[in-house]
Amino acid sequence: MIAKLRTLLPGKHWAITGIPYLWLLLFFAIPFAIVLKISFAEAQIAMPPFSDIVDFDGEVWNLTLNFLNYMYLLEDDLYVDAYLSSAGVAFKSTLLCLAIGYPMAYAIARMQPSTRNIFLMLVILPSWTSFLIRIYAWIGIIKNNGLLNNLLMGMGVIDEPLKILHTELAIYIGIVYAYLPFMILPLYTTLVKLDDRLLEAASDLGASPIRTFFTVTLPLSKPGIIAGSMLVFIPAVGEFVIPELLGGSEALMIGKILWQEFFNNRDWPVASAVAIVMLFLLLIPIMIFHNSEANALENK
Amino acid sequence: MSTSESQAVENLSPAAADSGKKHNYLQIKNVSKQFGDFTAVDDVSVNIHQGEIFALLGASGCGKSTLLRMLGGFDLPTKGQILLDGEDLGNQPPYARPINMMFQSYALFPHMTVEKNIAFGLQQDRVPKSQIADRVCEMLKLVQMERFAKRKPHQLSGGQQQRVALARSLVKSPKLLLLDEPLGALDKKLRTQVQLEIVDIIERLGVTCVMVTHDQEEAMTMASRIAVMNAGEIMQVGEPDLVYEQPNCRFSAEFIGSVNMLEGSLNEDHPDWASITCPDLNADLYVGHGLTGSQGMPCALAVRPEKISVSAGEPQREHNKFQGVVEDIAYLGSHSVYHVRLPSGFIVMANAMNASRHSDRFTWGDSLWLSWDDDAVVVLTS
Amino acid sequence: MMSTHKPSLFGKLSLLVGFAFLYLPIFILMFYSFNESRLVTVWAGFSIKWYGELFRDTQMMSAAWMSLKIAFLSASGAVVLGVMAGMVMVRFGRFRGKTLFSGMITAPLVMPDVIIGLSLLLMFVTLSDMVGWPEGRGMLTIWIAHVTFCTAYVAVVISSRLKDMDDSLEEAAMDLGATPFKTFFVITLPIIAPAIISGWLLAFTLSFDDLVISSFVSGPSSTTLPMEVFSSVRRGVSPKINALATIMVLVVTLGVVAAWWIARREEKKREIEEQMAAAEG
Repeated sequence: MIAKLRTLLPGKHWAITGIPYLWLLLFFAIPFAIVLKISFAEAQIAMPPFSDIVDFDGEVWNLTLNFLNYMYLLEDDLYVDAYLSSAGVAFKSTLLCLAIGYPMAYAIARMQPSTRNIFLMLVILPSWTSFLIRIYAWIGIIKNNGLLNNLLMGMGVIDEPLKILHTELAIYIGIVYAYLPFMILPLYTTLVKLDDRLLEAASDLGASPIRTFFTVTLPLSKPGIIAGSMLVFIPAVGEFVIPELLGGSEALMIGKILWQEFFNNRDWPVASAVAIVMLFLLLIPIMIFHNSEANALENK
Repeated sequence: MSTSESQAVENLSPAAADSGKKHNYLQIKNVSKQFGDFTAVDDVSVNIHQGEIFALLGASGCGKSTLLRMLGGFDLPTKGQILLDGEDLGNQPPYARPINMMFQSYALFPHMTVEKNIAFGLQQDRVPKSQIADRVCEMLKLVQMERFAKRKPHQLSGGQQQRVALARSLVKSPKLLLLDEPLGALDKKLRTQVQLEIVDIIERLGVTCVMVTHDQEEAMTMASRIAVMNAGEIMQVGEPDLVYEQPNCRFSAEFIGSVNMLEGSLNEDHPDWASITCPDLNADLYVGHGLTGSQGMPCALAVRPEKISVSAGEPQREHNKFQGVVEDIAYLGSHSVYHVRLPSGFIVMANAMNASRHSDRFTWGDSLWLSWDDDAVVVLTS
Repeated sequence: MMSTHKPSLFGKLSLLVGFAFLYLPIFILMFYSFNESRLVTVWAGFSIKWYGELFRDTQMMSAAWMSLKIAFLSASGAVVLGVMAGMVMVRFGRFRGKTLFSGMITAPLVMPDVIIGLSLLLMFVTLSDMVGWPEGRGMLTIWIAHVTFCTAYVAVVISSRLKDMDDSLEEAAMDLGATPFKTFFVITLPIIAPAIISGWLLAFTLSFDDLVISSFVSGPSSTTLPMEVFSSVRRGVSPKINALATIMVLVVTLGVVAAWWIARREEKKREIEEQMAAAEG
């Protein structure tokens, strides 16, 4: 797209670009630099509870980089396990969301426009009600004397309650439940733009429906799959509420660990180090997401 | 013919001699537009007279739309000047220019009624309300849309929307009206009628108009002069019949209408006739005027299919008659186009009116004679 | 375009299972909000006493009011920044630093809340140290945090609408004499108004619902509803929360259904008008 002449832009273009730019720089980008800085500090009983890494003694500027926090992360198995486990849980949850969400998105994309909109609304509706409360709902369902267990025991299917709450399974249920709409919507957006004539052409050339799906539909829905997967995977890695409410003490999720370091241990530097490592690990998925969004915006 | 030569021709054009109409009302002087490495418009110069409808004709990517946008102020030339009524438009933004444009997509404001759409331009100029109302009424009458005044664009058909777009672009009595592919969105049947209606309205108001189109029929029907464009350059400027009958280059000849292009070399050159050796015809071709050139000079020859007569028996003429076999026929209702294969293998297109009934016409495999007048051929040297 | 078919059996089944999964917990929650008994899993008769208890819980109610205020202000702030950001992304072409800008607009969509929360808090602390502002945390810091991450969502909605919009409308307005500034307010804004409204509603929901970020950047007197609910839930399951959930679901459902119904009516009206116009010729 050829850009408009500068003179044809509403208002001073530097103001319209500048205001959101500066805001985001100040309140989104630079804070990460602050986190990095504090990850090199030492925890102190002070307000704020960390040391200054830069100080000036009248003649010389001293920069004290405390790498202990990072060493601590590497040495203590807890953290390494937590990162790995978070990534693993997020990854498997993404696959589950894909498995459930794709058929739903596909079915909705193929409906009449009027019915389509109703179903889309039904998909979005739960996300407009409180996330926290919906997770809370599951507590009542899966706890030991919860609805599910009472139902199964009442029916005589089991004798003792199934321990679901405070297990890793509960975390999976929570994540899939919360993030399913975020998988369905990008998939739907891509699938609905699929040109049916491509499918007809494949069929005309002799491909069976299953083959057509795998060789035509699936590859063409790649942008939606990528966008949806990133929208689920990345936030799921850093999830706090779901592991906290539904997961048990053995559930190692890095988001919960960060929270505990910060609020329970009051160790801001370690919490910062945890955040920096998390950010570092998520950098590539975030870039993948950004590229897919930028492409989507170009190609519309 | 180079651009300066064609300019010499246009300066003598009778249209410009009309009293009261300014000559060279719009002057485009050596205008170029570069987008990075790509040259969209390459050193274009052309003068347009007040009151005429001037068409920029060319295929997509030839630079016509870019040139139009520069007239409108949506892009600025990399080099060159544009003068309107003696004033250099310079860097003036679109909202400061006394120029209005009718967009290809009509661009009617969807949240405003027809009335408000038309009134919009006048409101920007802070024209008093009563005057606006009168003016809008006038325009609605002009395009015959009075009873649709309170409707919104989506409540109108394509043709109706176009009329509103036209009215909106004329309401400010602009010094220059720009039309961007005005009839691209309409059905073929509707087109001719609408073309003539638009020309009628524009001529009644005496507005100078530059239009852009890829449809040669549209340009020929609507414009008083055409500029044929290719790859950012103007190939030829002239009235429709001039450009059609006397193309100055291969591109112009091939772009407008159908044409048979023959290659040959100059054989004999005399003051009032010349002969050209033409291997495609296996004979010499005679033209009824002299050419300034040397023996053996290569030329391209353009003959329009409708200028070629077909007959069963040998025509009574000395030159320019050739025998061939009918290879293909395109039946187009009012006339047929015969694709005739000559002994050399070259295929010539010849039109024949279907005045007689079916049984009298030629059919595939028939042998026939093609012939044309000495001045039916246009000799091109570029 | 996808041609329309009725869903296959597999499709129907997946829809059924999917929607059951999505909605059963909500229905169960709502159902038990009317339970006489405190035990959320045994039905002991119909009662609305938990709704009474909810409204009498002053802490919960003031937290709700705080959340409403913050959400309203955050959504409004996010819409202003989001419209600007959308215009920059779609209409302003290339400029130096656009990639960074584009990155800052898309990253919040996926960034884990704990990272956003922590980084913003540390930013506020540092700023407070250096320049004395913001003095301590409270409604202002929560507002800043919410505007920051909601802007990204609004920008996506607005960008999408701007992309779809015919930009020759803006050129036409300028051609007729309107300055770019005027064009934006008289032409662009009314046309993207539906996107602005849905962006505002989206930002409102996100802000109202936020727990993690608020927890990091709030102050002693700025407890939001999710924070209040969270501490309540940690203490144990209470039917008051069910009552709250039911109210929220009903409000949102009414809102969404109303919006959908209005949109549908407008669309039907348009279709008829377009058909009439085409028939007239």
